[in-house]
Amino acid sequence: MYLPDGYTTLEKISENDDHILYDLFFGPNHPGMHGNFGYVLDMVGTEILKVRPNAGQLHRGFEKAMENKLWAQNISLIPRVCVPDPDPNEVAYCQAVEAIMGVDIPMRAKYIRSIVLEMSRLGSFLMGMGGVAGALGHYTTMYLMMIDRDLILDLFEALTGARVYHIYNIPGGVRRDIPEGWTDKLLALCDRLDQKLPEWDRLLYENPVVQDRLKGLGYISASEAMASGITGPSLRACGVAADVRIDTPYAAYGEIEVGINLSGGGDALARAVQVRLDFEEAVRIIRRLVAALPGGDFKLDVGNLAKLRVPAGDAYSKVESSKGEFGYYVVSNGGLKPYRVSVRGPSMPAGMYLCHKHLRGMKIDDVAVWMASFAICPPDIDR
Amino acid sequence: MYDHIFKRAQSLHGDKITCEKKHPQQLEIKTDRHYVMNLLSWLKTESYVHLAFISCIDWIEENQFELVYHVYSYEEKNHILVKTRLDRDRPWMHSIIDVWGHAQPYEQEIHEMFGVYFPGNPDLSGLFLHNWKDLPPMRKDFNPKDYSLALYSLKGMGHEALDMDFIQEITELEVE
Amino acid sequence: MSLGEKSFFAPFATLANLFKKPETIAYPAEDLNVHGKIGPSLKYRGMHANDHQVCIGCASCETVCPTAAITMKSTGASDAELKGANAQRPVIDYGRCCFCGFCVDACPSGSLGMTREYIYTKPSEKEDPLEELVWKRDMFTIEPGNRWADNPGWQCTNDETWLDLDRQHMHHMAATERVGSFIEFVTGFTKEEALREAARCIECGICTKTCPANMGIPEYIRGIYDNDLDESIRVMYETNPLPGICGRICTHKCEDVCAISHRGEPVAIRWLKRYAIDALGPDRVTEIATHAKELFPPTGKNIAIVGAGPAGLSAAYYLSTMGHGVTVFERMPKAGGTMRYGIPSYRLPDSAIDNDVAAMIGMGVEFRLNTPVGEKVSFETLKNDFDAVIVAVGFPGGRSTRVENYDHPDVGLAILLLNRIRLDEEIPVHENIVIIGGGNVAMDIARSMARLQKVKYGKVSICLTCLESETEMPADREEIEESREEGIVIRDGWAPKRIEIAEDGSIKGLQCVKCTQVFDENRRFNPKFDEGETSFYKGTQVVEAIGQTADFSFITDEELKQMGMDRGRFKVDETMESGVKGIYVIGDIVHGPDVIHAVADGHKAARSIDTWLGGH
Ligand code: SF4
Ligand code: SF4
Ligand code: SF4
Repeated sequence: MYLPDGYTTLEKISENDDHILYDLFFGPNHPGMHGNFGYVLDMVGTEILKVRPNAGQLHRGFEKAMENKLWAQNISLIPRVCVPDPDPNEVAYCQAVEAIMGVDIPMRAKYIRSIVLEMSRLGSFLMGMGGVAGALGHYTTMYLMMIDRDLILDLFEALTGARVYHIYNIPGGVRRDIPEGWTDKLLALCDRLDQKLPEWDRLLYENPVVQDRLKGLGYISASEAMASGITGPSLRACGVAADVRIDTPYAAYGEIEVGINLSGGGDALARAVQVRLDFEEAVRIIRRLVAALPGGDFKLDVGNLAKLRVPAGDAYSKVESSKGEFGYYVVSNGGLKPYRVSVRGPSMPAGMYLCHKHLRGMKIDDVAVWMASFAICPPDIDR
Repeated sequence: MYDHIFKRAQSLHGDKITCEKKHPQQLEIKTDRHYVMNLLSWLKTESYVHLAFISCIDWIEENQFELVYHVYSYEEKNHILVKTRLDRDRPWMHSIIDVWGHAQPYEQEIHEMFGVYFPGNPDLSGLFLHNWKDLPPMRKDFNPKDYSLALYSLKGMGHEALDMDFIQEITELEVE
Repeated sequence: MSLGEKSFFAPFATLANLFKKPETIAYPAEDLNVHGKIGPSLKYRGMHANDHQVCIGCASCETVCPTAAITMKSTGASDAELKGANAQRPVIDYGRCCFCGFCVDACPSGSLGMTREYIYTKPSEKEDPLEELVWKRDMFTIEPGNRWADNPGWQCTNDETWLDLDRQHMHHMAATERVGSFIEFVTGFTKEEALREAARCIECGICTKTCPANMGIPEYIRGIYDNDLDESIRVMYETNPLPGICGRICTHKCEDVCAISHRGEPVAIRWLKRYAIDALGPDRVTEIATHAKELFPPTGKNIAIVGAGPAGLSAAYYLSTMGHGVTVFERMPKAGGTMRYGIPSYRLPDSAIDNDVAAMIGMGVEFRLNTPVGEKVSFETLKNDFDAVIVAVGFPGGRSTRVENYDHPDVGLAILLLNRIRLDEEIPVHENIVIIGGGNVAMDIARSMARLQKVKYGKVSICLTCLESETEMPADREEIEESREEGIVIRDGWAPKRIEIAEDGSIKGLQCVKCTQVFDENRRFNPKFDEGETSFYKGTQVVEAIGQTADFSFITDEELKQMGMDRGRFKVDETMESGVKGIYVIGDIVHGPDVIHAVADGHKAARSIDTWLGGH
């Protein structure tokens, strides 16, 4: 067989009378995988001996590209760092830029950003819960969740003009004000999502098959999670009350009440339940944000955006995304373009580091479930 | 909280570091590369248990790389940026995987993207780039456009042997 | 929620769902109507539409496009047809476009928008793969026009645009304060303001085409924005050797067409120029301006210039940069012409003129001041002694209305009075003054007299009448507004009929009739009056400011005719050469009073003389 230089082949690792040890490519081409990431597994039977993450299929050099574009132009690139949950990226980047510039954006812009962030979180959670369900073979549940995600995308479309890549935040605020009657639709959607929760409980969380499959899978203790860079719902699922929205409030989260509910347990089931709890809270937060939405400008006047010049300096800005801490470390040398944009994605610690510990000894059937439970999303590893 | 760690860092490590308050809940500590490990270990005992990630910046004009370790305390709710500079011609840095295991992929990435060596890190193999033979791509002197043009032009793709009409047609495409 | 055991009856729950309404939408059998209108949302970022009638070809969309999807395609129209626009339109490669809509948000004319259309497919028409490749490229590259425009989606309002629509405020002395003195009352931008103002420019170059001197405006604004004032000044001197003067009193035709003016206030091009000059300081400016001195060796040719006004100075500068020897003959004691002896110093202080003239002196131009041609030296001598002669005498005299009693001693000509004010001579100032005229000179004399009145009587009482209605008045808008602020009463649309004299011989006032039309439909001066409607403006002094005249007494009538004089003005082509070989005419006597036109003429004459003398 012809294979170009340097391409990985299916390698026979070792051989004895009973077994032949092969590298097994779990993804990128696998129904349980995202299509742009994979693990190379050493297997004995269905049991994993060793794992090697195979990243880079999505690498487009986002960070490098951002150094070659104007400050505002980068907004069109940034949401692509996380497809299901794009807005935390936009907001984190814009906040970092605003911090370097030393400006404070109008309150209304902060509220709109928070609303958009929570909607994005809901959409991503639906995809995440659906992902867990899908990995377990519960496709119906996944499709039902996709329907509701689509309704969220409809609202995004009405607000930002696009369904997936909203390209909505800009340094100084947001690009468009909320249209007439939009908040009413949003509240109606919140009601619908609330009503949906019992159905999902019945379909997913109370389902004995789901519970059995998830219980004990990928257990991690609180202290280990903290020391391994695990953040977001996965950390809260270990019983740690940590949430960027509460600890270092940004956007409008300092203005309203943000509740925190912990599932505890540290395994995949706890993480799945944590997502559900966070989902419920996010719906509540949206209601609070809409109720307190102030008037005023939706963006700050920072002059001609195409000629925005950010003073020399650096800032780290982080946002609680549906998967954990999304952070942007932005460095400016006073020019028209960023000097360096460094992205902290939430998937790296679990996807690239914990996998070595957790997957060892695991059955191959559980790999996709384990990934979905940690919400590992390759674009923010590759960027 | 903010002041607390600031004062403690200065009293304990004052001669080795320069410490600056930056943004709300953000502190910047600059230190020598040989002291980073000490500092990070100390910070970890001071409740700064969360290593968010490590970034690298290429200050090509000063001929230096800068490494930035982002650590955070869940108790003090502070973010600290530990910065250190490396010589760009011989860039290497002590690996911190003994303090934080998940520093491993971050260091591996920085090695791949900037060419910084991390003695002590067991795996510095290629992480993202397949068959990469050029300069580490995140360095400022690597020009992605030139690279793409060289690689994805007809010549770069090894198409010289194709018939001339096709080449002419394609060349026109590029020119327009 | 409980994570307890499942009920035994759970499987039967499925039955209940049998009768539920399905959640799916059978597209296209059912319409996707979620946004109150079938199709995507009302803000959808779909295919572009561009109104070619409105688009000004500024290429702002091209600049901000993050994917480099936009290229500008020439429309082939000539610049002359397109006032205030570039002859190019955006073309979008949909193989690259990411539908971010930045181009829409950065479009200054508002012509570009996005539509709710997003389906764009067509089966391939080509069999041959290579042909198909070309065909596909053409399919994907679309010049947005009216196609889809009836289904608008993402549009941009003035609140949402990326552009900075508001000018930085220019600081003025308050009207009550400034009217008491001749000190320059516009204080100029600070650095922060200048940077912010410079950032407003989108570097389209539309202004460059409108500027008579074709100054590299976007380039020097960019210099200011990059904080590289040296570069900025260097660019200015390429086309205009009087930037300090023009930065104060230019009629700024460029600002009228500025791309930003389509949505907001134009970029303050003139004040930015002034900022660069003032911020860098006269010494450095002169150093940069005279930098060209070493570039070309002396040619040994000598050129005489009659008149040290803007046209003469400009010609002198450019001729000397090309290595020619230049001698300027000026009848007044200092160089500057009308700029020094006509424009009041509250608008243009002497120092600004001196700083700009320093560049000519630095270039080695010889000034013969107090030397009226025709008296101290004859025109014939110039023609014999020099290789070429440039006549740049301007309009030193004033025109009179010649209405009844115009020859009364208390009736004055504006230009002569301004002249005397500038020479610090005592001039008669009455308590109530009537001024005739609606141009900038009328404003200058009105505001100068107001200052003198304020000093003498402590109050302003000036009435200004003009033929034109306020919208037609040739004076700059800001001049009109500032005059009003200073207490000058403007009565527009009145034609002077007669100056009334009282029994004691003094002037009583000005009798006017209504002026119903100034220009006919062909924009020709053709005033019509309504004798029935009259008005009377009281005042013991009248100043006429209705136009200026040239003085060609040093040239014989016959020669004037040969040179191409026709009804008070010269008709010349782009070379600025008159009908007589070696004599060039430039400035007001060709184009009418305007500093920047004069500067452009000077440059043109310098170039054509250089070509003629076999220069570079
Ligand atoms: S930005 Fe607008 S006006 Fe300018 S070229 Fe593009 S479409 Fe035309
Ligand atoms: S929508 Fe965005 S990518 Fe497309 S042409 Fe406009 S600016 Fe370029
Ligand atoms: S000043 Fe106005 S017209 Fe001139 S380049 Fe700038 S934006 Fe365009």
